[in-house]
Amino acid sequence: MQGQNTFKNNNTVLVIGGGIGGIRAAMDLAESKRDVVLIEKSISSGGLMTQLDRTFPTNNCDLCTLSPNLSESGRNLHIELLAMTQVAECEGEAGNFKIKLITEPRYIDLEKCTACGECYNLFPECVSFSPGLDHRAPTCMRYPQAIPHAYSIDINKCSNIDELVKVCKAGAILPEDTQKYREIEAGSIVLAPGAEVIDVDNLDSLGHAFYPDVITSLEYERILSASGPTQGKLIRPSDGKRPEKIAWIQCAGSRSIQEGAVSYCSNACCMFALKEAMVTKERFQDTIETSIFYMDMRTFGKDYESYLNRAKNDYNVRLIRSRPHTVLKDPETESLSLMYTQDSSNSNITENFDMVVLSAGFKVSDNARELAVKLGVDLNEHNFAKTDNFNPVATSKPGIYVCGTFESPKDIPETMVQASAAAFCASKDISIIPDSSEIIENLPPERDVSQEPVKIGVFICDCGLNIGGLINANELADYAGTLPDVKISKMIGHGCSSESMGNIRKIISEKKLNRVVIGGCSPRTHEIKFQDTLRKAGINKYLVEMANIRDQDTWVHFDQPGGATSKARDLIRMAVASVALSHPLKDKVFSINKDVLVIGGGVSGMNTALSMADTGFKVYLVERSGELGGIANRIRKTIEGKDVQSYMKGLIKKVTKHERIEVLTNSFIVDHSGKPGLFKTGLQTAPQMFYRQIEHGVTIFATGALAHQPEAYHLGRYKNVVTQLDMDAMLEDETDKIKSFTSIVMIQCVGSRCPENENCARICCLSAIKNALRILEINPKAQIFILYRDIRTYGLYEDYYKTAREKGVIFVRYEADEPPDVQVIEKELKVTFNDPILDRKISVSTDCLCLSTGLIADEESTEDLCRIFRIPKTSDNYFLEDHTKLRPIDLPVPGFFVAGTAHAPKTIKECIAQAQAAAGRANCMLSKDTLNLGAGVASIEKELCAACLICVRSCPFDVPFINADGYSEIDPAKCHGCGICAAVCPAKAIQLKQYEDDQVMAKLTGLLEGVN
Amino acid sequence: MEKFEPVIVAFCCNYCAYTAADMAGSKRLCYPPNIKIIRVPCSGKVDAIHIIKALEKGADGVLVAGCLEGDCHFKNGNIEASKKVTYIKNLLDEIGIGGERVEMVLMSAGMGERFAQTAIDITKKIRVLGPNPAKSFTPDKASNDL
Repeated sequence: MQGQNTFKNNNTVLVIGGGIGGIRAAMDLAESKRDVVLIEKSISSGGLMTQLDRTFPTNNCDLCTLSPNLSESGRNLHIELLAMTQVAECEGEAGNFKIKLITEPRYIDLEKCTACGECYNLFPECVSFSPGLDHRAPTCMRYPQAIPHAYSIDINKCSNIDELVKVCKAGAILPEDTQKYREIEAGSIVLAPGAEVIDVDNLDSLGHAFYPDVITSLEYERILSASGPTQGKLIRPSDGKRPEKIAWIQCAGSRSIQEGAVSYCSNACCMFALKEAMVTKERFQDTIETSIFYMDMRTFGKDYESYLNRAKNDYNVRLIRSRPHTVLKDPETESLSLMYTQDSSNSNITENFDMVVLSAGFKVSDNARELAVKLGVDLNEHNFAKTDNFNPVATSKPGIYVCGTFESPKDIPETMVQASAAAFCASKDISIIPDSSEIIENLPPERDVSQEPVKIGVFICDCGLNIGGLINANELADYAGTLPDVKISKMIGHGCSSESMGNIRKIISEKKLNRVVIGGCSPRTHEIKFQDTLRKAGINKYLVEMANIRDQDTWVHFDQPGGATSKARDLIRMAVASVALSHPLKDKVFSINKDVLVIGGGVSGMNTALSMADTGFKVYLVERSGELGGIANRIRKTIEGKDVQSYMKGLIKKVTKHERIEVLTNSFIVDHSGKPGLFKTGLQTAPQMFYRQIEHGVTIFATGALAHQPEAYHLGRYKNVVTQLDMDAMLEDETDKIKSFTSIVMIQCVGSRCPENENCARICCLSAIKNALRILEINPKAQIFILYRDIRTYGLYEDYYKTAREKGVIFVRYEADEPPDVQVIEKELKVTFNDPILDRKISVSTDCLCLSTGLIADEESTEDLCRIFRIPKTSDNYFLEDHTKLRPIDLPVPGFFVAGTAHAPKTIKECIAQAQAAAGRANCMLSKDTLNLGAGVASIEKELCAACLICVRSCPFDVPFINADGYSEIDPAKCHGCGICAAVCPAKAIQLKQYEDDQVMAKLTGLLEGVN
Repeated sequence: MEKFEPVIVAFCCNYCAYTAADMAGSKRLCYPPNIKIIRVPCSGKVDAIHIIKALEKGADGVLVAGCLEGDCHFKNGNIEASKKVTYIKNLLDEIGIGGERVEMVLMSAGMGERFAQTAIDITKKIRVLGPNPAKSFTPDKASNDL
């Protein structure tokens, strides 16, 4: 929908929506040196994900995986985060948008608020928090790691404003705060407003509106969440009892024609219901029963089918294929009665449960719809932003891109892919901001402290009353002054205020301090700030140590001031002893080569290559076969009816003609060395298969998957047994043959969801329905049977399933243990299957048996590449990304990215999005001239190393190796900094910088001296 | 004699346990101040010698706290740490100090309650066990090096 023009007038991107998609997009943009204004309409960023307890498929705790991302977004220099802010008006066009923003009053000065919570303790009624079951929410920050890390006041609910203002020792409460307008200019816009949960109160038969124990899945997440209203205790809202029998009802409000419901599939609900059931089972094992009522189990994503199998087989989650029509309260037992029917019976079944969870899906909020109108972005019939098959994140309006659930319902990994893709597209429209070098230039030179005697400065924050209210901060500072090597010790009030930071800086310079201890809050949140302070004062930033005397002392020992005081002394003593042994460290910084290697010349590889080359990078595109295009060369139409071949012709032409792309067909990778940013890869390349080495900074794997050809149902032996891919071609080339068919049978899940290939191939249900609809267009009288296990037309693809049913395609379900039987009798194909509704065998003679075989990983190629590049793969031979949830494009080793079906099966549209995202992630890395890997890496003292291999075996990332000189070597560029090797090294030849053994020992000595 | 106040060293991994301890703070959950936390990047970084030295120097108990199984930021550091703790417990049993003075716990960053409860439980336990017997026979304070 959008051209290739680039605009240079304005280098800011407006990102609308501070959920996980918006944060990812903002971070990618900032990393690639674009200024970002990130606006969020609620009081802090994080969106829906921060309300979840855990996420599938890893069942990780969400806050742990999310909070590093959030604090990064709050810290980043190029990102301005405006909470409680929305778009009021927008005019202009791509390259030159003028947007009027409106910010609601927070009544809190973000600069001054220390998030101490005093205001909340005394005036809880001023809280404005509602992520579901809000009445018992612990704080009015939405979650403990909220960014901005500050409270918000609902002034209308406050009875005594003067008292409230007095409560805040930081003076952060602003009762006079007002709505603020602001105009900004932006070159492009990324839309990430997310979706809202369907209001199930409208579905009266399910009882959410009247029975407290009927809750939505999001409310269930809040109950399970450790930061939720019940502190993670699983209790029934009605009586506080622990439920013993819980039912999940899928598709509550989705896949329905009921009023208040939507007709599409909400994509993620099957997985989150399975997750909730598994997490529940994990906690309570056999003392709880979990049942999921579903229509089709849609576990189509990467490794999701194995997740389903684990839920069924290992966790005993009960799965019932049925859609309960009514939930009523049993007047005698107070529990909830579910009424449903099953295929096998013709009567109503009633079963009682203690709690019913409605798997409520997503819908576009009125707010997002209004936003689309303000921006002039077209919506589809379900109110999601309209996008194009071959330009998946571009909206109808040039310069505006979309990601996440506002594009269509989806889960987190797909949101992350789209976010990176949208960020990349938005960044292409604008120019890079000149390097923020002025910040670096202003820094004084780093003083060499190696010859100086240790001179420690101790600064104690009282954090208002948070620390000072319980212990005497002045006395603590006096005590610290008596410790060895401490030259100055002071109480400094709020240490993190810019005023105090300036004071600390001044004292460091004046007194020529060379070590600093901060007694205050947690280093997790504030270490970076104090490191900056040291650097600005002209000493190495790693010479600071924080003693956590707030979060881990005064806040948890408020019942015993004496104990808290003596613990604070202990913590200060430990920090002083340890910091004395710290020494200046250098961040590992490498300059990088900016050329790009893309492996695989299919639709994903070509899109990645083109995106990178258009951005100005030199790209080597390596393809093992003789021509570009991959499987897409065999696909004629998408399910939406778009012509794939004309798109491919254009794409191939653009790639081969591009001055910055070198296409190497008939080429094979043979070796690889180097580190991120400085790779060397060897290939043998046609025509003579000579060896050639390419130097490059990043590697993108787009090696695709194979069209599966399993030995099943006489495939390959009879010409009227074909795959969906063959049918796709037949529909274009042999229409006469199609017209001659009277009966066609399609069988789903051939060669997938089976022991040999456990996971779902994702695209087969779509291809079957696509081809069925096309057959009916050519031959409306044809009788089409689709024999399936679960129809997985996820998201908005549900529309096509509905249309196919309306047009008379007959869908018949079969069970895995009773697959259809195909006999060839005198060259005639006869398919026999069980009809579950009639409960009897049916035989159909067919002119064409069409098998949905989908895609399968290219085992040979993945295995070779994983060995050569030393990157991991999944058990079913797809590349394994760094984090299945939050980093679906980055591989675990920096500098490696994956795109397209080499990651997992997906549609062309999804491949293109991931290709753009991979280009975006690579672009982030290549936007810098150097790569900073921090200082926390392991290093080996070679004289001590006995080459015993223990470190080699223990490293989770396979980094250490025994080098040619016979001792172990650790590449700092690859080291993740866990320190496991240092802990197991019997010779103590390995030290992890920042956490060296003598520092740990010094802490122990500092703590325990005088104990004896 | 004064009432016995045990000193307990808690090695907490940065990603989960240390964050959980901060979370206990945000929620103002009370636990005994006997617990002193040493931050490590990963529970797998905790060396057997660190635990032994802590006891030798006079700590009455040691806690190693890592991420939940499967949640380790470094894949399996927590599992490695658990193995090490089991090994040390056996060793301490053998030499008569008692393996129950060392404990490994797993928690996610959101589990402030679990951190607080663990702190309460281990303090109670060590109080019952009484002072570390190693304290009476290690006058040598110079054993600082490894």
